[in-house]
Amino acid sequence: MPSDYDKEAYPEPPRQTPVVDKKTILPNPALIVSKLFYYSVDLPVSTFRDIVDSIRAKNRPVYYHQKFRRVPDLTECQEGDYVCYYEAEMQWRRDFKVDQEIVKMVQERMGACHQREGHSYEQNCVREIQLFNETTKNFLSRYGDLGAYGSGRKCLMKQKERMMAAQALNA
Amino acid sequence: MVAMSVLRAAAAFAARLSPLKSGNTAANLLSRTIPRADKVAVRWGHGKNVFVIQPSNFYDSRFLRLLRFYILLTGIPMAVIVTCVNLFIGEAELAEIPEDYIPEYWEYYKHPISRWIARTFYDSPVKDYEKMMAAIHIEKEKADMRLAQQEVRRHMRQKGDGPWFHVETINKELIDNSPKSSPDH
Repeated sequence: MPSDYDKEAYPEPPRQTPVVDKKTILPNPALIVSKLFYYSVDLPVSTFRDIVDSIRAKNRPVYYHQKFRRVPDLTECQEGDYVCYYEAEMQWRRDFKVDQEIVKMVQERMGACHQREGHSYEQNCVREIQLFNETTKNFLSRYGDLGAYGSGRKCLMKQKERMMAAQALNA
Repeated sequence: MVAMSVLRAAAAFAARLSPLKSGNTAANLLSRTIPRADKVAVRWGHGKNVFVIQPSNFYDSRFLRLLRFYILLTGIPMAVIVTCVNLFIGEAELAEIPEDYIPEYWEYYKHPISRWIARTFYDSPVKDYEKMMAAIHIEKEKADMRLAQQEVRRHMRQKGDGPWFHVETINKELIDNSPKSSPDH
């Protein structure tokens, strides 16, 4: 079976099944239905999966996460060194994709928390909501209005504007 | 009388041509009428209409038949191939890159068909990256050389002591200095 999801990030809510206290002799229909479902759907599907996995286990390919080396940034490039510009631009694009995925994951965690807590989510998922707000604010301030042709250079200029605005505010 | 015999001969001839057709006997030849198509007897019986008159479905059903045939001609083999790949080869598992091992560029994909496509048809992304960098380097060198050439041109035109921008002057040996050798001549 593929590896399960991260149980700390998405904790299961505490179980609320009541203790069984049978007072009648009549059979429990819920039990009958669950057993029926198990034998008619769950068991065939699981055995099929086990068969297929045993066939697959013989020649199972493996894949890796590609690791990219860090290259000098746009700020560390000589002026006119277009090869350095290109490498910095590619690195910036990879970092942009990584940041997008980070924001998606944080959003997913907040959504899962919302789904779990139900109507009391505002009070129980404070940490997730705060993390999400912070992450999106940072993401927008860094990559916000770059437009469709955003590049590392424009992002750098945006950072320069931010720093100038911060300096103007402090002064 | 003669007409009657001609008619009898014609009836006999028609009967000889198609003897089994009921209108061709001598008695019917003269008196038979031409049947008219719009005045056919339609008998409204007390049952339902067994022969319902509709426009033809032939062209529509032919189109759908051909559509199904040509879609399934490649659709079924492809479905069989994809099913077999998913059953017998299966998707890849994520693993850590072992020490001293540089994975091939197709080993970064999960599905076996994506791996095959990357292996067979596409170039490695490292190769594309290096090609792009080589192109940029060549263009940069060209641009640098053009700028240097402009600079050199400017200098040579100004100073005039370089190999470019020559104006051909005549040989100094050919100058006849004899009229200048004595004053007042």
